[in-house]
Amino acid sequence: MALRSCTVSVDGSIPIQALLYDDEELFSSQDGVGIYNGTQKSPGHQNGVVHATSHRIFYIDAQYSRAHSFALDLNFVAQTEYYAGLFKSSPKVTLHLSGSAVTSGISTPKSGFESWECEVCAFRNPPGLSPTAVRVCGLCGVPRTVLPETTAPASLAQQNSSTPLPSTVSPAFSSSQNSVACSVCTFLNHPSLRSCEMCSAELPRVRRESVPPSRLPSPDLEDTDPSAPKSIKISFRKGGDKAFYNLLKRSLQSKAWEANGAASKLKIASGSIESDTAFDGTTSGISGILRTVETSAQGRSTHMQESLRDLEALMIKAKDMVQLAAELNEKLTAASSSTSNTSTSSPMSSSATLVASTEPEEATFIRSSLSQLGLQMSNTPVTLDMMKDERRWFEELARELARVLQGSTPPKDGAGGMMRNRGMIALDEVWGGWNRARGVALIPPSTLLQVIPLLPSCTDPPIRLRTFPSGLNVLHTPPYTREAFAARLSSFFVMMGPKTTIQVALEENLTVSLVAEMIDIGESEGDVCRDDASAAISGGGSGTGGEVRWWPNLFLGYTWDGQI
Amino acid sequence: MALSTQTITTGFLLPSIHSAPPFFTQQPNPSTQSIATEQWVRLILTYARHRKLFVLRVEDTETGGSDWGEILRNERINRKVLPSHLSSILEAMVAKNVAAYDPPKQTRSVLLYWRLPEEWADVLHEWATSTGQLNTILTFYDITDPPIESPLSNIPVPLLRKAIAILVKSGRAQSIGVADGEGVRFFTPSR
Repeated sequence: MALRSCTVSVDGSIPIQALLYDDEELFSSQDGVGIYNGTQKSPGHQNGVVHATSHRIFYIDAQYSRAHSFALDLNFVAQTEYYAGLFKSSPKVTLHLSGSAVTSGISTPKSGFESWECEVCAFRNPPGLSPTAVRVCGLCGVPRTVLPETTAPASLAQQNSSTPLPSTVSPAFSSSQNSVACSVCTFLNHPSLRSCEMCSAELPRVRRESVPPSRLPSPDLEDTDPSAPKSIKISFRKGGDKAFYNLLKRSLQSKAWEANGAASKLKIASGSIESDTAFDGTTSGISGILRTVETSAQGRSTHMQESLRDLEALMIKAKDMVQLAAELNEKLTAASSSTSNTSTSSPMSSSATLVASTEPEEATFIRSSLSQLGLQMSNTPVTLDMMKDERRWFEELARELARVLQGSTPPKDGAGGMMRNRGMIALDEVWGGWNRARGVALIPPSTLLQVIPLLPSCTDPPIRLRTFPSGLNVLHTPPYTREAFAARLSSFFVMMGPKTTIQVALEENLTVSLVAEMIDIGESEGDVCRDDASAAISGGGSGTGGEVRWWPNLFLGYTWDGQI
Repeated sequence: MALSTQTITTGFLLPSIHSAPPFFTQQPNPSTQSIATEQWVRLILTYARHRKLFVLRVEDTETGGSDWGEILRNERINRKVLPSHLSSILEAMVAKNVAAYDPPKQTRSVLLYWRLPEEWADVLHEWATSTGQLNTILTFYDITDPPIESPLSNIPVPLLRKAIAILVKSGRAQSIGVADGEGVRFFTPSR
């Protein structure tokens, strides 16, 4: 019982160093030893090597190293005893084992052989640590919140062992591998069953021989009483007992397997608190923060989509409202004209005069409320469906664009158009500004380009399109034609002296890029010439990216006035 | 802004355009640049004649103290001709046949023709006639470095050779190989 319940079989064909945990240390080895289970010799464990480490005792059988080797966790060892030997009796070390160590849930040997990520600092802990070390993050020392699944069967097994059932299952057992085949119906029964689950036939009791030897704990055919005192004796048939015992005692005293025991207990306690308060362990630490950010971003995008959907719906509604307003306006104008007609034609009719007196009031009310809603007909965007044919539509659009650019012809409340104070404006700005003014039924750029040729006839002073060599399109008023601008530029230079592009831009109240385009044209036409500061003897230099100052073209009409 | 002419230390009268900074910048507009280049060519040739300079190198823009410093740089307006600008001016001069790359097959230095080789030929023959050296054999050294200062003093040999070739063609001189170089004999034109 003691040997089987407390030990874990290992593959002894693997060198001992490979069997150790990363933080485990090998202290001593001794060959030629035998094992006693309780007071009796354990068959199959009579000639082997015993290793004492900081965490465990290994027995590696010399003959059947694969099948008969095992490891014993030192935390099972409650007490040790030393027997020096007498005549033919070999020196022996007795290890009294306590069953309570099992309940601490430490015996989960496979749990250490996987890597896991710390919930708090996201450190990926390497595999291969001892069961106690694996419970705590190697970087931040915070206990692991999610324990590997292997602990679950362990606790299950622990519950099983505490039940009055005479269970023979050791915690490390995997039930599927140890299923017992019924000799009658061949059903694979759970090893703890005595009779077949299917046919109730007696199950073969000698089931240990049917399981794979590598997974088999040391055979133990008797001593099934759990309450019996458990002990294992190590018999040193080739000496070396004293040195081994000293090292083993030191190892037991240092309790390396409990180095993190306090922390793990703390963890268990805090873990229970966390689960009690429904505090999800996953919401703490860096990964928790990341997850929170993800969720909030997700939420925001869904909100955005919803609100955009609202906007689309609103646009559709707005179209309806515009239509409604147009119809109302038409009806109102028709009604007012008809009422005026009726009032002039038949002033005697009292009902008609009543209608006439009430109608304008309603009309003004409706009109004012419409204008309050911003659906006044005067700034209703012109849409294609309002127009009879495309040509008229473009004309109407051109008129609207002229209003946007120059403001309404009798300027009211100082709100002028986009070109009120500027003589030149880039086409992209025109397009953006126009569509913003329309608000609904936006105009595509292609339509804008089709409308622009009609613009000069609708504007006063005429606004025309101009394309710069760079491909930039602008709308401009007459003072910004090439000739007018060049003349202004030359006189400006003559009066104020040579200027840089930026100074000209300040003077003209235009953007620098527009002025640069204009001056480039002026230069290519020979209106101006440049003075590059990179030609300076000192100060400028070609490396400094010297400024260009613009001069009137003084080469034109120059006559030689130097030495003949 | 009013630009004015300047008389510099060597007694040369600089044109007013030399005081305009744009004159020292290579203009991107080809027609503007052609006017500027024209003025530059005229300035360079006039100055070369004034100082009796025969050679202009692109490197002359870099060195302030060279013979050309007075016109390739203008300290008063802090401007100088950039080498790339000057080499384009040289190219234009060669194209207009008022200069030739010397030595040939490079573009860094030119021989200036402030007198054309034909004019030099006339000057040469006139000098030989006036100094009574017709029908005598003269070495190139005798011509380029005469004991008495002449218009031909320090004339570069390639230019001299060109002038002599023109005289030979018109039968006014004969080229003769002498022991330590080349020689020439001038004749009265045989009419």
